[in-house]
Amino acid sequence: MNPALLSLFVVLPLTAAALLVVLRRPALDRALMVGIPALITAAGIYLLNEHRETPVLAHNIGAFPGGVSIPLVSDTFSALMITVTSLTTTVTMFFLTRTGEDRFRFLPSLALMLTAGVNGAFLTGDLFNLFVFVEVMLLPSYALITLTGTWRRLGIGRLFVVVNLLTSTILLIGVGLVYAAAGTVNLAELVGMAGEDPRVGYAVSVVLLALAIKAGVAPTHGWLPRAYPATSAGIMALFSAVHTKVALYGIYRIYSTTYEGEAPWAPILAIAVAATILIGSYSTFGEHIMRRALAWQMVAGVGHILLGLALFSQFALAAGIFYMIHHIVTMGGLLLASGAIEQTYGSGRYERLAGLARRDKWVAVIYAFALLSLVGLPPSTGFFAKIGLLQASADAGGWEQWVFITVICVAAVATLLAMQRLWSGVFWGPTMENYRPESQRGGRERRVPLPRGLHITWQLSSPAAFLVTLQLVFFVLAGALIPIALRAADDLLVLQPYVEAVLG
Amino acid sequence: MILPITIGVLVAGGVFLIVQRGMVRIIFGLALISHAANLLLLTTGVSAYRGEPLANRTAVDVAADPLPQAFVLTAIVITLAVTIFMLTLAVIGHNDDTKHMPHTGEFHDR
Repeated sequence: MNPALLSLFVVLPLTAAALLVVLRRPALDRALMVGIPALITAAGIYLLNEHRETPVLAHNIGAFPGGVSIPLVSDTFSALMITVTSLTTTVTMFFLTRTGEDRFRFLPSLALMLTAGVNGAFLTGDLFNLFVFVEVMLLPSYALITLTGTWRRLGIGRLFVVVNLLTSTILLIGVGLVYAAAGTVNLAELVGMAGEDPRVGYAVSVVLLALAIKAGVAPTHGWLPRAYPATSAGIMALFSAVHTKVALYGIYRIYSTTYEGEAPWAPILAIAVAATILIGSYSTFGEHIMRRALAWQMVAGVGHILLGLALFSQFALAAGIFYMIHHIVTMGGLLLASGAIEQTYGSGRYERLAGLARRDKWVAVIYAFALLSLVGLPPSTGFFAKIGLLQASADAGGWEQWVFITVICVAAVATLLAMQRLWSGVFWGPTMENYRPESQRGGRERRVPLPRGLHITWQLSSPAAFLVTLQLVFFVLAGALIPIALRAADDLLVLQPYVEAVLG
Repeated sequence: MILPITIGVLVAGGVFLIVQRGMVRIIFGLALISHAANLLLLTTGVSAYRGEPLANRTAVDVAADPLPQAFVLTAIVITLAVTIFMLTLAVIGHNDDTKHMPHTGEFHDR
């Protein structure tokens, strides 16, 4: 493949977004907001296949010589991330068209702009460019978070913008410090520099700190479970698939490239990771709303994913990357299933929902399989993802071995118990008697008696069903997926091909 | 020393304003901090006076480093856009001290 085509991953969604601002046709809106991410998924799979032979593809924008230009670099890790996030985005976009949220002016354009930023962040090989693409991703998100959901979104939108702008400023300061200390912000030129020169090490640590806040690592996780549930389920699923994952990808990439091994502050990372897992899974107990509970589970997921980096071996990194794939798909399925329930019955509170296991049998089955995956019980990808992390912890030896195995097991049991509360609140119990229909003006009407014939439609539950089936397929085909994760981990450990491709 | 002191004062003032309650003060605080970040980016080049970095006009040895200037330019554009958006959010939406619902034209049963 011609590496110059890599820029299409950014250009295509941006052009489509611009087109949809000018052309106002609902049919075109729907076709492009589902079609473009689907196209990118296909391109991502093609790219993954391409990387079997050529490990790294790089293109310097404008054909400037390497080192001066802005490079777009693709390897197995970034191609894998693009494929999985685009696939989840496609399904979420389809869900948004089914709930009728695509009728909001600019929502299709904003969502496509978000996709462009995400793909750019995965492909860029330059720290300042990473900052720019993260901003391209965040600016549409600021608007998206205030567009749909309950009225609380307006207050929460402020929190989201303030936290992210402050974090972006810290990221910018970090990039500036890297430039001052190393004289370059090109990742290929920064290889190993943070390990050799403590000044570069400090500067890179500031960049990683900013990304850690954006990922939601304890003790800076507080904004995530407050901000996300205030939007609608579709937008939350979109954010959960891309936002924290871009930050996590950045942490994986920058940490392993610049330090070429473990950082001197690796024990601090280990403590933060353990705290994130425990806080995330225990805080799930305190919530009475489905998506709020799931937001805390997202925090726990961030901890699990970073565990691979904290242990830092080929197998551990592969286990972390595999967990990331599992987490994106499973969380997408859970959020979209919750969204289908909320869209139909007008609430996500445990005490306002009841007896859905009798009313909507198939949605209950979908939700049950997704919850099994979240907890880590077979048959689900979560099972292999947790086994991988346990195996990696066991290989680490020393105190890490005992601490991490205990933390993972305790968190899994806590998740199981908290999710049983959700299950008995929403799916068991007496027959539901009233619900809140969607208002013509937007928002929800007052409570009215629930008609007998009202059920969650197939159109609403099919996106969740697709993602849950996908993670079951991943469970069956785990033998084929794990080598890809191992190759992605190799990209982070063997940096020679990366440097050669970029600086050539 | 002037630049580091300016950056320090700006960050201190920004942090003080961010921990206040009102949204408008928080926005001013963020504006101060992003100014500090821009100045910090400028210091990553050489902070002494240099010629304009234009090819065929200034010799390379006296020209300024163009990269930090490009960084600052990008950062200013982004911060300006977000500041305007945040000011909009400060106008609409509810007062954070009360529980009054804002008028969004939608109907919400609590």
